[in-house]
Amino acid sequence: MERLVVIWCSELLEEGAWGEEARRFARVVARAGELCPWVHPVRLGVGALPARGPARFFGGEEAVVSRLAETVGEEAQVGVADGLFAALLAARCGLIVPAGGTADFLGPWSVATLARPDLAVTLQRLGVTTLGQLAALPAASISDRFGADAAACHAVARGESGELVGLRDRAIERRLRVARGEDPDRVADAPPRPSQPGFFGGASEADARAARSFVRVQERLGVDAVLMGRVQGGRDPAGQSVLVPWGSPDPGAGAAGGAPWPGRVPPPAPSDVLRIPRRAEVADAAGRAVEVSGRGLLTAGIERLSVDGGPWQPVVGWAGPWPVTERWWSVRRRRARLQVVTADGAARLLCTERGQWWVEALYD
Amino acid sequence: MFAFHAGDPPSSRPRELPAGLADRVRPATPVAGRTLPVPPPLAPLFPGGSLRRGTTITVAGQPGHGATTLALALLAAASTAGSWCAAVGLPDPGVVAAAGLGLDLRRVVFVPHPGNGWSEAAGDLLSGVDAVLVRPPGRARLTAARHLTARARERQAALVVLLEGPGGWPEGGDLALSVGAVEWEGIGRGHGHLQGRRAEVRVSGRRAAGRVAECSLWLPAGSGAVAAAEGRAGPSVAGPGDGPEAA
Repeated sequence: MERLVVIWCSELLEEGAWGEEARRFARVVARAGELCPWVHPVRLGVGALPARGPARFFGGEEAVVSRLAETVGEEAQVGVADGLFAALLAARCGLIVPAGGTADFLGPWSVATLARPDLAVTLQRLGVTTLGQLAALPAASISDRFGADAAACHAVARGESGELVGLRDRAIERRLRVARGEDPDRVADAPPRPSQPGFFGGASEADARAARSFVRVQERLGVDAVLMGRVQGGRDPAGQSVLVPWGSPDPGAGAAGGAPWPGRVPPPAPSDVLRIPRRAEVADAAGRAVEVSGRGLLTAGIERLSVDGGPWQPVVGWAGPWPVTERWWSVRRRRARLQVVTADGAARLLCTERGQWWVEALYD
Repeated sequence: MFAFHAGDPPSSRPRELPAGLADRVRPATPVAGRTLPVPPPLAPLFPGGSLRRGTTITVAGQPGHGATTLALALLAAASTAGSWCAAVGLPDPGVVAAAGLGLDLRRVVFVPHPGNGWSEAAGDLLSGVDAVLVRPPGRARLTAARHLTARARERQAALVVLLEGPGGWPEGGDLALSVGAVEWEGIGRGHGHLQGRRAEVRVSGRRAAGRVAECSLWLPAGSGAVAAAEGRAGPSVAGPGDGPEAA
């Protein structure tokens, strides 16, 4: 994880009526950039730069922090830590977190700092209120139960990653170009990032060329726009893989795919795994809703399927149910999965929980 | 080129790599030449049996008929040969399915939600990677289509356009693949499980004298990869309304 210096200008975090915050923040970035190269805006009022080079040049991280605070010409707090998430919190408190001490530093903070209200509520209900408690949970159960984004939060809480979707404002570079009176769509002369980890040491010319194009897309759409897929163990289609931002550290061979997870639907895997499952209704020949009984059997044969309140489609084949019973602390969930083929030839993976059916994935 | 032996000083000769190093190094430019490889079952669809750099290939099919699977499979062999590939605008990519099709996930980036910037993002990527799969939201504008086709030609990358139906790409492509009749095998009414989808894939080309060919493929087979479907000679008999294994 890269060690970062974060500059936090508390007066410039939100755009006021006159829009002068963006202009003032563009000046902050420019002034800081005169002192140290590679200063980049994270979002309005917040900038970051790698710590190592400047610390060597100025003789220590304390020196960098005080030089920056004097130079930027605005009310600013400066902090240093490993990874963006910890460095943001460090800057808000004006702290230098020692290298390797990220997990200890993050431990006492509330799970609410992750800016995931739904996840925070669920975790707090389960008695997990701090990032330290979240970090202590096993990674496999987090991704299996809560999905990829929660797994990313977990990695952050453990101090293994510093990036989270939403930390960076994808439009900030463009906004500052507008504030500086430049053509907002001209990105060609933007300086290349000093380091983009995550691809094989970056030796070959083809790798470097690919990396430059990914950075251009990130500048256009945000750092979390360019993702790479990783396969891991898991029971449901969403839990068997994650999409992580390009450049994220590789977790190594620890997460093995192909583990014989109970309740796993047999391959081939679906081509489209829906991030947001679609509501579905399943009916028998008489039009009655079909459910999965407590013994894991369907209450009737399936004749028709409707997705998102759409028209009924005749069902020509189905398989399952594959029951999934999970114990997650004290919360017991009983779910079952079903493969359904409709007369138009389309196959879907359905999931049911408490009488409600969802389309989880498509085989397109 | 290295056939001159008379006056060649020994030092200018490229030397054999020391034993043990040869299998650890990667070539600096892993993929050369004017074509990208495709998985062998897909080779009959392409003139010359491979994906020509600089060309645009459209892939169309009714939703649920396997066009996404076919389009992803086109990137598989290129990625394992060391080419970087990108998939733009697939909102919910099935990563396990992509791995099953043979894509090397260390060489593939996904841009699932480019929004209105889809054509700009695809344009950026065409200048950096060897193959770009793009799924335009709805019907693409003529200017965007022309721009991307030209960019692919100029940068000698392959552009694969995934369409929801015919006519979604105003330019047409150098090659047009379409998935016709499909049939799932292995699943009955309450028994078995999805094992493979047999699909009739038709290809027509603007170049190569507008040749039209058709072949039967497993999209995917039970292993998760694509495979040639044998055993049904002659024209396809499955119509679009036919389901698998009607009991």
